Amino acid sequence: MVAGVVALVLAALVPGASAGAAAPACPAAWKTGWQQLAFTINAPVYCPSWMPNPLDGRIRGDWQDIYSIGDDHSYLISFLYHGEGGSGDVHVNFRGYPGRTTIPRCRTILPSGKKTLHGTTPCFSDAAGVHKVPGITATLYLVNQDADQWHLLLAWRHGGSLYTVSEHVIKPYTSIQVKKNLDRLLKSLVLVKPQG
Amino acid sequence: MRLTRRRFLGGAAAAAIGGAGVYELVDQLTSAPNRSVRPAGSMPREQHVIDLGLVDSEGVQVVVPPLHHELVTATLKITDPHGAQEGLDHALAQLDDTYSLDAAGLGVTVAWGLPYFDRFVPEQAKAHLPFDHRAGKPALLPARRFPSDPKDTILEQNDVAVLMRSDSRAHIDAARKALFDDLPYFTMTSIRRGFAGGGFAGKESLPKKMAMAAGIPGADLIPDTSELFLGFTSTQKAGLGPRLIANHETLGFVDLRGGYFHGGTHMHLSHIDEDLEAWYLNFDFDERVLTTFRPGLTNVKQGAQTVAQGPKDVATQAETANQFQKTGRFGHSASIQTSSRLQQDVIGPDGTRYPKGTAIPQRADFNTLDNPFAWSVAPDVDKMKRDPSAGVHFVVFNPSSDDFARNRLAMDGVLPDGTKLDVGPRSRAQGFNSVLTTTHRQNFLVPPRRHRSFPLAEL
Repeated sequence: MVAGVVALVLAALVPGASAGAAAPACPAAWKTGWQQLAFTINAPVYCPSWMPNPLDGRIRGDWQDIYSIGDDHSYLISFLYHGEGGSGDVHVNFRGYPGRTTIPRCRTILPSGKKTLHGTTPCFSDAAGVHKVPGITATLYLVNQDADQWHLLLAWRHGGSLYTVSEHVIKPYTSIQVKKNLDRLLKSLVLVKPQG
Repeated sequence: MRLTRRRFLGGAAAAAIGGAGVYELVDQLTSAPNRSVRPAGSMPREQHVIDLGLVDSEGVQVVVPPLHHELVTATLKITDPHGAQEGLDHALAQLDDTYSLDAAGLGVTVAWGLPYFDRFVPEQAKAHLPFDHRAGKPALLPARRFPSDPKDTILEQNDVAVLMRSDSRAHIDAARKALFDDLPYFTMTSIRRGFAGGGFAGKESLPKKMAMAAGIPGADLIPDTSELFLGFTSTQKAGLGPRLIANHETLGFVDLRGGYFHGGTHMHLSHIDEDLEAWYLNFDFDERVLTTFRPGLTNVKQGAQTVAQGPKDVATQAETANQFQKTGRFGHSASIQTSSRLQQDVIGPDGTRYPKGTAIPQRADFNTLDNPFAWSVAPDVDKMKRDPSAGVHFVVFNPSSDDFARNRLAMDGVLPDGTKLDVGPRSRAQGFNSVLTTTHRQNFLVPPRRHRSFPLAEL
C-alpha cells in the first residue's frame, strides 16, 4: 500500500511523454467519449491528454465517476480513484457551462445549533493567480463548492462559455502537488468541437 | 542558501535536547528586527512583562514579538525546594545581569504548576495562593477541557514551566543550559519551540517560509506576508493587555491574601494543532474574516491581514448574541472580547485608568512546527510524531485560571452572562474552532520576580 502511494507521488512528479513541447492531442481511446459529450451539449469541450496517475481521461472508462449534463447543457465529468486503507484519493473534475461566463452560485447549508442556515455562495472563490497556456488564461480558485469542495480549481472562458478543471487536495497529493497537476492538465487540454 | 525538505527534516531529526533543530532555520530565513536597546535600570517586579517594539501594519499599531520562543516544562527531582531556592535564584539573576530584558536580550518567565504547590509547599499554598473571589475559587485551578477540545486533550501535571523569549537563539540556548543542564533541580518533561513575527518586512513572512520549508500541507496557501499561519495579524497593540493589567491585583477580583504574589499573574499553556488546508480550502477570505472577527464585518479589504481591533471595534455580548440570531454564526474575536475586554472603565491600584474595551490577556503565543513538542520525556504519552505540523504554543497571561476559562468558554459560544450560543463545539458556524485541535493544556502561577525561585519554600 505504501509503495502504491509512493508510486502515485512519483508519477505526478516525473514528466511523461505527453508533457513534451508538441501540441497535445486527445488520445484516440479517450476522444470518442469527449466528442460524444460535445455533440450532446452542442458546444466545445476540453479533452485532457494527460491525467494524474492512476486516472485516465476515458469517459465510461475504469475511473469515470460522475457524468452529469444539466438542462442548461452544463456538464460535470468526474474521474475518481478511491484508494484503500487511507492511501488517499485522486479525483479530477471537468466542468463546462455553455453560453455563460459568470461564476455560478452554489447552495450552502450550515447546521447551527437547532437551525439550519440556507444560503448561496460563489461556486468558485478566493482567486489566487492566473495560469496561462497557449489559448487559455485560467484563474486559480482556492475555495470551491459541491463536487469541487476541497479541490483547487482552474477556470477560464472560451467562446462565451466557462470551463473548469479541478483536483481534490488529499493524500497522496498536497496542494503544491495539485497545483502542479493542474498546470499540467491545463497544458494537456485539447478543444473538441461538436462538429468534430 | 536553498533549503530543501530533506535538509529541513534532517534538521528535525537532529533536534535533540541541546540543539534548536529545525528552528535554527529561523535565523537563516529572516533577520532580527531593528530594536532600540532598553536602557539599564532596575528589573520590573513582574516576570511576564517584556518590552517590545511597535510597527505600523495596514494602519494599525502592531507589537513585534521576539523571533525565537522556547518553553521548557519540568518536574522537580529534589525533595527540598527551600535548599534549592538560592541556587535557582542565583542562576536567574545571572541571566538578568547578562542579557537586557527585551527581545534583543532575553525574557525569562518562571511559572509554577499546581502539582508543585500541592506536593512541595501544600501548607504555605493554602495560606498564600491567591483566591479569585469573582469565581469563588483559587486563582490557580487544574487545567480543564473546553467544549471544542477533543476528549483526548492531555491535561498536564508539570511542576514548572520556563518561557524564554529572544531574537537570539543563542541567548535561549544559554538560558536553558544554565537552568536545566547546570542546575540539579529539574527533570525536563518537554521542550516546545517556535517563532513569531518576521512578517512585517520583505516579500515572504517567517511563518510562511518555515511552513514551506517543512513541507506542511497547505503551506503554499498561507498569504505571503502573514504574521501567523492562519493569515491574520494577532499582535496588534490594542488586542494585547497593557503592561500590568494581567497582574493578579490590577482588576480587583483576585484576593492576594498576605500579598506574597503581588505583581504575579496566571499563565495558561496549551498546544494547538492547526489544519491549514482545511482553513484555506474551505473558508474563502470573506468567511475567514467573519469567523476570525465577527459576522457583518464588511469593510475589510480583500487580502487584508491586519484588521483593527481597538476598543471601539469590540462587540458587546448583546451585539454578539444578536449577530448570532441573525446569521447563525459568531466570530472568534467578537465572542472572546465579551469577556477578554473590560466592560467598563477600571482604575488600577496604582491609579492607572483602563478604559472600557481594553484587552485583559497578555498573549505570548508563538507558531510552531512541533508535533506536538520539539522533545518529550514521554513520547508515547504525548503522541509525539516525527513529521512537522503547523500549530501554535498558546501562552497567555490572565489574572486567574477562571479569567482564562471565561475567555476560552466565550470562544466556544458560552458568554460571560451565561448566554449559550447554540453552536456545535466544532461546527463550521464557528469556523475557527473547526480547524484547531488542542492537544495539551496546563495552568500555572507566575510569581513576582522576587519569588520566582521555588515560591513559598522559604516560609
